[in-house]
Amino acid sequence: MGKPLIHRSPMPGLGLSMGVTLTMLSLVVLLPIGALLWKGANFGISGIWDTVNRERVWAALFLSFRLSLFAALFNLVFGMILAWVLVRYRFAGRRLLDAAVDLPFALPTAVAGIALTALYAPNGALGSLAAEIGWKIAYTQWGIFVALVFVGLPFVTRTVQPVVEEIEAEVEEASATLGASRIYTLRRVVLPMLAPAALTGFALSLARAVGEYGSVIFIAGNIPLKTEIAPLLIVIQLEEFNYDAAAAIGIAMLLISFGMLLVINLIQVWSRRRIGYV
Amino acid sequence: MSDASLTKFRSAREETPLARYALIAVAVLGLGVLVAAPLIAVFVEALAQGWLAAVASLGNHDAASAIKLTLLIAGVSVPLNAAFGIAAAWFITKFDFRGKAFLITLIDLPFSVSPVVAGLCIVLMFGTNSLVGGWLVASGYPIVFALPGIVLATMFVTFPFVARELIPVMIEQGRAEEEAALTLGASGWRTFWTVTLPNIRWALLYGVLLCNARAMGEFGAVAVVSGKIRGQTATMPITIEMLYNEYLSVAAFSMAAVLTLLALVTLMLKTALEIRHADALAATHRH
Repeated sequence: MGKPLIHRSPMPGLGLSMGVTLTMLSLVVLLPIGALLWKGANFGISGIWDTVNRERVWAALFLSFRLSLFAALFNLVFGMILAWVLVRYRFAGRRLLDAAVDLPFALPTAVAGIALTALYAPNGALGSLAAEIGWKIAYTQWGIFVALVFVGLPFVTRTVQPVVEEIEAEVEEASATLGASRIYTLRRVVLPMLAPAALTGFALSLARAVGEYGSVIFIAGNIPLKTEIAPLLIVIQLEEFNYDAAAAIGIAMLLISFGMLLVINLIQVWSRRRIGYV
Repeated sequence: MSDASLTKFRSAREETPLARYALIAVAVLGLGVLVAAPLIAVFVEALAQGWLAAVASLGNHDAASAIKLTLLIAGVSVPLNAAFGIAAAWFITKFDFRGKAFLITLIDLPFSVSPVVAGLCIVLMFGTNSLVGGWLVASGYPIVFALPGIVLATMFVTFPFVARELIPVMIEQGRAEEEAALTLGASGWRTFWTVTLPNIRWALLYGVLLCNARAMGEFGAVAVVSGKIRGQTATMPITIEMLYNEYLSVAAFSMAAVLTLLALVTLMLKTALEIRHADALAATHRH
């Protein structure tokens, strides 16, 4: 006999807690996602392919995933610097800086969207500065990049910070005693320890950016083939009551995001095994 | 051991002063441009025509109904998600069963689904064209383009917030205290109210705080399911979009400023919790 499905326990409330958990999970998350997949199944693989395989849809998907990747990479580097600075250095305003990192989580995306647009539009405070060197930010792909960096900013910092706090002094000291330069220690000793957490933050930041809508649509300009993101395309299809097409693009986005997360998870498993540090 | 050797040993964990100042400068400058500047922009734009214009724009009927609607949605969806979070954390941490990791993955699923896709899922499930939705509309209970749909969409995107805060804390605390209470004859509910809840209250508050901030600010999922009916299904973020697209900049940014103040209060409470009750929160929030 294998393991029982649920072990016997003296704890009360099994039925109630399991019932509430599974009912709400089904009603709020699983059934709606099931409805999307069901719609896709009825529409058929060829139907989905015909919808997705159009220049405008490919352009939107490619734009969303490419800019999300760039934004997540930027956040990976900046987030690690931020985590290091916040944990290791003591300076005036550190607490304020630490709290400010979470603002993108707390600020509604629509608010972030119009604020970033006001700031980076050609007549905005930062946009006019950029315009002087001929750099257009709002209503171009740069604007989308800025918005995606904003929404994904906290992830890497928040996953890496606790790991930096845990690093034992001996590890770096041993490296230094053995003659390694500071740069070498950071690169070969510290960085590998931070890598799994940083990768988790990177994946979260990427997933968030790919699906982001509110902060992007104001600053993007939304020009088909140029600055139109994939989630906007779904909204446009829905507004035209074109449910099949909306479902097809939605399923394509789901599949690509899950595929990316799977790859990142595999890299993570591999890096943990290679480095032997969890 | 002389002081000099001690100082030298310490510096093995430090970068050169130049590198240190450069990194701090990068951090301060980066957060200044990326975070502080948009924050200031909201208030500058809201007050572009003075206090009176800003406050007056919040007083009209549509603005008032948007504020009421947003409060109502948060008031319904946040307690429901808190109840779910407690139930899920209890189920996951107090019992041993197969497929636990899979269940946690499913609970986390909404974090990797685009809010627009979440809204789409709810439209496909409960819209007039669907089996369930058609029947509900015929019976006079429309879900999509009405309050229940907005609540469902909000619950979808905030689904993991409370559970994620509680699960690590309850794993760390173990089951010994509850087992002791039960052995001494306390009922299941009494054990929960007097033993478990006091242990998890700060983590619960932390989760509720983040859940509420997201619930009041959700845009993408709500934009899809709400139908954006002015005065009826337009929440605060949706109203901001409508005002902005009508070039009513002061009105849009005034409402944005209200939500920004809410975000700042959320951040302050969150930071206060992290400082004062660090030991009662999940390990990742202790700093």
